[in-house]
Parts: sequence; structure tokens; C-alpha cells
Amino acid sequence: MILIYSIHSDLKEKIKDLNQMLQDKYRGIFSKDREFLRDFIRQYIGQIETMKRLDNRHLALYEAKGGIVGVDGSTNTKGGAFPHFVQVFQGLAKSTLKDQEPVFMADIYSPLFSDSLKNPLEKDEKVQTEKKNRLLSDIEVKVALESIKRHKPYGILMDGSLIRYNIYSGDLWAELRQVCEEEGIILVGVIKDIKTSTIGDMLEEVYPDLSINAYDRELLFGILDYGEIIYIKDEVSKKYEYEYSSVFMRSSIAPTVIGMDIIDSQKGHIEEMSRLVYTLTPENSRGVPLWLDLVDKEVKISDTIMEGLMEKYMDRDIYERFFIPERARRN
Amino acid sequence: MKVVGITTQQEVFVGSRTRNLRINEFLIIEDPNQGDLIGEVVEAKTFNRYIPLNIAGDFVDNSVIESLRTLGYNIDEETIFIGKVRLLNEALYPVLTGSDIRLPAFYEVKDLMIKSKKEDGLVIGVIRNTDDMAADMDQEYKNLLNTYEENGLQPQREIPYIMDVRSMHQYPHIGVFGGSGSGKSFGLRVVLEELMKQSIPTIVLDPHFEMDFSEKASYLQGDSFDFEDRFKCLQVGFHVGVKFQDLSAQDLKNLLDAASTLTDAMNNVVDILFRRRDSFYSFYNKLNMLMEAQEEGTVEKIDNRIKDAATDEERKAWAERKELYLSYDKTCPHSSVRGIVWRLKRLDNDGIFSKDIREIEEGLQRGKLMVIQGNTRILQVFSTYLLNNLYHKRREYKDAQYKKTTADYFPPFIVVTDEAHNFAPKGYDSPSKSIIKEISQEGRKYGAFLILATQRPTLLDETITAQLNTKFIFRTVRASDIQTIKEETDLTMEETRRLPYLRTGDVFISSASMGRTIFARIRAAISSSPHTENPFDELKSKGKEDDKMFMEIIENKLPINDTDLLHLISEIEKEFSITFTIDTLEDRLKEMTQKGFLSKEDTIFGYRYKKLS
Ligand SMILES: Nc1ncnc2c1ncn2[C@@H]1O[C@H](COP(=O)(O)OP(=O)(O)OP(=O)(O)O)[C@@H](O)[C@H]1O
Ligand SMILES: [Mg+2]
Repeated sequence: MILIYSIHSDLKEKIKDLNQMLQDKYRGIFSKDREFLRDFIRQYIGQIETMKRLDNRHLALYEAKGGIVGVDGSTNTKGGAFPHFVQVFQGLAKSTLKDQEPVFMADIYSPLFSDSLKNPLEKDEKVQTEKKNRLLSDIEVKVALESIKRHKPYGILMDGSLIRYNIYSGDLWAELRQVCEEEGIILVGVIKDIKTSTIGDMLEEVYPDLSINAYDRELLFGILDYGEIIYIKDEVSKKYEYEYSSVFMRSSIAPTVIGMDIIDSQKGHIEEMSRLVYTLTPENSRGVPLWLDLVDKEVKISDTIMEGLMEKYMDRDIYERFFIPERARRN
Repeated sequence: MKVVGITTQQEVFVGSRTRNLRINEFLIIEDPNQGDLIGEVVEAKTFNRYIPLNIAGDFVDNSVIESLRTLGYNIDEETIFIGKVRLLNEALYPVLTGSDIRLPAFYEVKDLMIKSKKEDGLVIGVIRNTDDMAADMDQEYKNLLNTYEENGLQPQREIPYIMDVRSMHQYPHIGVFGGSGSGKSFGLRVVLEELMKQSIPTIVLDPHFEMDFSEKASYLQGDSFDFEDRFKCLQVGFHVGVKFQDLSAQDLKNLLDAASTLTDAMNNVVDILFRRRDSFYSFYNKLNMLMEAQEEGTVEKIDNRIKDAATDEERKAWAERKELYLSYDKTCPHSSVRGIVWRLKRLDNDGIFSKDIREIEEGLQRGKLMVIQGNTRILQVFSTYLLNNLYHKRREYKDAQYKKTTADYFPPFIVVTDEAHNFAPKGYDSPSKSIIKEISQEGRKYGAFLILATQRPTLLDETITAQLNTKFIFRTVRASDIQTIKEETDLTMEETRRLPYLRTGDVFISSASMGRTIFARIRAAISSSPHTENPFDELKSKGKEDDKMFMEIIENKLPINDTDLLHLISEIEKEFSITFTIDTLEDRLKEMTQKGFLSKEDTIFGYRYKKLS
């Protein structure tokens, strides 16, 4: 338990203020009842429907047609401030079919060993984050490609929005997308933290006095019933320009809503893939399909593993000289 | 299979994705620096990181698991198998994590598992969980035995456990511990069968009348070893006993004490009155006459008896009593004399003085197994005498040998007893205890060995327990006994924890000669215990007999009115001399009605029982 009284009162005040500000900002929209927003969604965003789980016959068919592959990546950093750190990346594509070996790939990055040292811009934190996102995104796409090459699954569930791959892995992603289209492998992204503002923007358009820059995440909180889905109209979808179709759905008892993207040319499969995600999500979970949770768990590089690897495979001298920051030495 | 996690020089963890590990299995660790190391699995666990499926704090419902299964993914297959392996010999350095593990071949473990040739050893059972290593075992160790399991008789699949008898010279005594029904008696039977095969002279004290080897076990088919001329069951007081003339005062005191504890005064009475070579009759008579004289109370009264005697004979007898009275009344108080008489009578009623132990001695001389049967109390009395006698014969022979003089040959022998805590109890003295203790401490020198079985090791004399170099430990549930076993054996923590869960017939054998504990299963016995009838079956068949008899008795008295019961009772008493009370008869009639032999109808005169046709 946190000892509240030991915290400086200034901080308490700041948090109270934040709470108040959020209350004030959203008062307008929070005071509308649930039906108001649901009507608004139906009218401007897309149809709200109730999904049914896929039955076992259907799932067995997927199994027969190559199973479902879950893809996720993970990264961990060891060291201190720029340029004295290493970053490792690991990607995993894991099929539900038992006889198909999971595809693991790894990558490593350290500014100490790249051209970045010569480039003064590289020091910029933003540039570093960008680099990290790119490497992570690349490795995920690579394992997905490899798993297609080896196993030719029925469908692939990527962890997160597909837009991310457009942004960070341009050409590689285009290749994956093309292979999937050619081979008829359904490619979707499952988004546990939706970051779009489709509904808020539309609200602003229709009701200028409700102009609050709200994100879909908070607006949709508690608005859908368990098992309900919104098929987002192409006209309003922010992702349309990237040629994706998207849905929002409430896939568990938790009131939060998750999203799913599918490549446009495979839009005909959007309903079955949504139902697959729904079927694979435990009702008491936060809404993520179990399969992606398992993949996430398996790909994760924990701090312990990271440290173990460094200690085991790096000379002590090198390790200390480059990667143990002063503050870690002090304890 | 690989070594995982943190290792030491003594212990490592082993992980496998495909092979479940078993406790007591042997594994070879291929340490790249130290070479092959051999270890034994002491703990085995399985682990599935997804079960219970609590991922990021969420519990997963079965429908999702089921769906995943349909998609081809079975979460159970994520199970990994983990074993804790203890190295047999400490390594020089901690074992290298990541070292490969493999199963040993037979020749690599042979010396650890087999200490004796089957011809010279006791083939007692199999070493559990050694089937993988047994695959390429030498032919001479195969098909030596069967085991009896839940699914019937099974051929030998594992490495045999062969106890090296010759090592008893160094590690002489064996303890057999285990709770009720854990397999002690069965285990003893197997050991005894092996002793008979080797013609080793053995004395068995059998308070349960169960060590008979003439019946073949029902699960065996075809020919099997015939023990008929290798053993003999002898009942105390019927086939064997004590020859009174051979008793020393000390022997006699031990016997009397075993019948019921002697006071100092009583011991004194024996010392004063007993003469070497007294016959039972002469000694008993002496005591009895003294007692009768003491009952008169004074010399005058005895004199009166002499004076008033009707016959010469009677006069003479009273004169003798007077004699005794004058010599012994002061030193032998009446109550003590009476105590001795009572004990003597008790022993005599048991038949102890009617026979001798010659047959036992002869049996041992010919390498036989002599089973001495009797109830616990009689066995305590008799064994005290018997063991003293045999042990000293053997001792005299050996001493003479050492001193290079001559004495009659007497063979080395093994003494076996169940319920050993009754013969050598902890905390109080008993006559049989001192001889057992003596054998436990010095028997090795003379070639006298003990096999002591008990349900309650806690109640067994601790000096004796400490002398038991080999211990068979069967299932034990009682906490105090587990504690004793912890103290008295080198069982590890892990092994002690398993004690309450052992299957009947599975046993830890902790032996100094092996230098470690072996987990074994006792083989199927060739012979069977004479009382294998389930006691509940026995009750049932006894019940049926009783019912039949009762129906015969009342057959031609039917129908019976409940007003006639008194009359009926006296009739039955006259005809069959069996007595019922009204209550018992009525109960019995009701019971027979319930069982469907009789019917009961309500008439204006009360109830009436009729035969059911
Ligand atoms: N090794 C074995 N293989 C097959 N059956 C066995 C084995 N050991 C014991 N049994 C069976 O289990 C039952 C109980 O065994 P046993 O009579 O030896 O128990 P116990 O330990 O002597 O019990 P108690 O202390 O009550 O005398 C017997 O009916 C016996 O047939
Ligand atoms: Mg028994």
C-alpha cells in the first residue's frame, strides 16, 4: 500500500487538478446518455451489430486450412544514456498448429556500433525512438513473412494496428501485404489500445459545441455491450487511405473496446475474423485474444534474461566499461 | 533434457519438454568440463506456465481453451518436466548449466545397482523406475522374479534388487518398518523364502501364525519352488517347549518373569528353593508344600496336623511340610511363594514344560527355517529361553574355535520376528529384550543376526534400533514413527515426505552396504499366507452358518406366537442346550424376518412368525 500521507501535498493537489480538468473537459459528452452516443455512432460511424462466436466446426476448418499464426515482437534495453546502451529485438510468429515450429528472429542495436555516432541528429531522443520502432516493426514483419514461407497459414493476427507497419516498415510491409493477397492469407491487426479519434472528430463536425478532441478509447468506454461490434464506414475511417478496413468491438466483459484492422482487399473476411478474435478472447480478460497473449508471453525478453545474456556472453570488462551506468553501480 | 537453473556440486535441476521424469531414476549429466556425472532424481515436478491460465491476472475460461484446441493448439503440451537430481558423488565444481542429460546404459549403473550374484544373494524385488536401464541388462539378471501389481502378476521389467547376504557379516541386522497393511509381513515372507532357498538356518518368531510356506500363492501358475522340506512350523507347548531339568535358576527366573513380572522377593524365593536338576514336579511340589504349611500359620498348627493325621502317608507329608516351613518360612514370605506357584502353573498350562527345543536345534543344524508359533506372551517367554540357549551354543562353539579347544558345532543363524517392539520394547525391561540386545550388539562376532519387523519403530528399544544397519521402510503414516525414521535412517527430506504415500509393497531400503537408499518393490511371494481370507468374507460366511443353524433349531416349532416365547426357550434349552433370553430370541426372529427366512403377521393374539414358503 502506498502511504498517501507521506507524499508531498503539492503532488496531491496536482493530481486533483488533473482529475478536475478531465471532468470539466468531458462534462458535455459524459452527461449525454449512452443511447445518445449509440445513436450517433449508428448514424455517422457505422452499424452496431452483435457477434456470435465461431463454432468448433468452423475453427476445425481453419485448423485444416493451415491454422492461425500470431505475431508479436519485444524489445529490451540495457545500459544508460546515449550512446551507451544495447537494444535487443525479438520477433515471434507462432502457429496454433502443433507440428509447426514457432519462428523466432532476433536483432540487436547499439549506437556505439553504427554510423549514428557521426550524425549529430542521432542523439535526439525522437530519432532514437523512431529507430527502435522501426527495428521492432521490421522484425515482426520478417517473422510473419518467414512463417508464410514455411507454413502458409489460414490467417495471421498481428499484435497492434497495421498502420504502424506502413509507417515503420514501408517496403517490407508492402511485400508481406502482397504475399498475403496473392496467397489468400488473411492478414489482420488486433489493437488493444486504440489511439484513433474517429468518433470525436465526427462529433465535433456535427456538434461544434461538443468540440473536445476526444479519443475513441474514452468515448467508447462502456458504450458497447459484450459481443457488440461497430463496422466503421470507409468514409469516416482514418485508415481508409492506407487501404484498411476497421472495426471496434467489445470482446470481453471489461468495458474497454478493442480494434481490428484488415487489409481492404480482404474486407470480405472482416466479419469472420472479428468473430475469431471474439471467440479467442476469454470473457474475463481485458479483451485481447488469448493466442496473442500467449505469443506475447513467449516473445518477451525479461530484464532477467537480458542481464543473463549480457553477463554470460559479454566479457565482463566490456560489459562494465560500456553498459553499466554509474547509477546502477552505486547500490 | 538439459541442466537448468542454478546448480551446485551436489544437486542440479533438469528440465525436459518431452520426457516426464520419475523419482529414483538415474541420469547421466554430460558436463563438458567434468565429464559424465551420475545422479538420481529425488524430486519430480511438472510445470505449465499457462495453467492455471492466469495471464496478466486474467483467468481464462475453458471455452477459449477448447477453441484453441480445435485450432490445433493444445495447452497441455506446454508442460515442461522438471526434476531435482542429486549427484551420487559430489562433483568438483558446480555442474555446468545447460549440460546435456541422457539415460545411462546398464553397464554404467550395474555396480551401483547390483552388489551380488543371484546365486549368492537374496532376490527380494526390483529397483523401481529402472526399466529404461534394464533394457540392455545382462541376461543373468532378467526374468528372476515377478511382481504383483494392481493389474495382477507382472513379469520383471526393472533391475533386480539382490541383497548381498554375505555383507551381513559386516552389516548384520535388518529392521523392517511400516504401518499396518504396508507390506511388512509380505516382505518378510519374501526374505524368508530367499533364506530358505539359500538354506540359511533361521528362527522365526511368529505371533500371527502366518509364516507357513506350504501353500502356493494363488496368482502363480505352473511349477514353482517347493519349500515343503525347508521349513517347519512348531507351536510352543505343543511341539516345542522348555525342558525343565535343563533350566538354570536364571533361565527359570526369566521364564517366570516373562509370565508376569517378578518382585525381588520372588527372585529370592527361586534362588533359595530351586536346585539345578530339579524336575518341574519336584520344584512345584516343594513350593506347594511350603505354601500349604505357611497357610497353617504356626508350627503348633502344623504339629496338630501331624498329630491328627488319619493315615501314615498324611502324617509323613505334614512332617515334610514342617521341615520346609522351618527352613524357609523366614526367607520366603508366603505371598512370594504363592506368586511363584501361580506363575509356574500358568506356564505349565501353556504347555511350555511338556516339550523341549531339540527339534529346533536339529532343524537349524540342517539349514532349515524353524517357525515358532504361539501367542505373543508365550513367545516372549519361550523366545527368551530359546534365544539364550541357541545364542550361547553358537557362542561356545565360536569361543572354543578362537581358543583352539573343541566344542560341538552349532551353525550361525538368523532370528526373525514380527511385532519386534513386543520382544524388545523401549522404555521398560523385558526378559526377551536383554538377549535381543545382546545379539544386536555382539551377534556379528558370532554369526547371529537379527531381522526385526515392527509397525511401531518408535516403541522399539533405541539401542537395538541403532544396531539395525539395513532398514526396509514401508508406508508409514503416523507422525511419531516418521520422526523416528528420520532420526534412525539416512532417508532424505524428499524421501521422508513420500513415506505416507507409498504403495503397499513399495519400500525404501536404506542400507549401509549400498551406501544409499534404494527405492524398491518387493517381488511377488511364491508362497501365500494361510490367512488370506478377507475378514469381512469370513464374517459373512460365519453369519450364514449361524442363520442356517438357527433355522434348523426353530424349523419344527413354527409358527411361533410371541406369547409362546418363554415356553419355546425352555424347549430349545432342553433339546439343544442353547439358551436364549426373550430379548435375544425375539431379536433373532426379527432379524430372520428381515433376511427373508420368516414372515411376521399381526394376529389378535399378537405377532406370529411363520415360515416363508
Ligand atoms: N509386494 C507386494 N506385492 C503385492 N501385494 C502385496 C505386497 N506387499 C503386501 N501386499 C499385500 O498387501 C496386504 C497387506 O500386506 P501385509 O500383510 O504384508 O501388511 P503388514 O505391513 O504386515 O500389515 P500389519 O502391520 O497390519 O501386519 C496383503 O494382503 C498382501 O497380499
Ligand atoms: Mg503383518
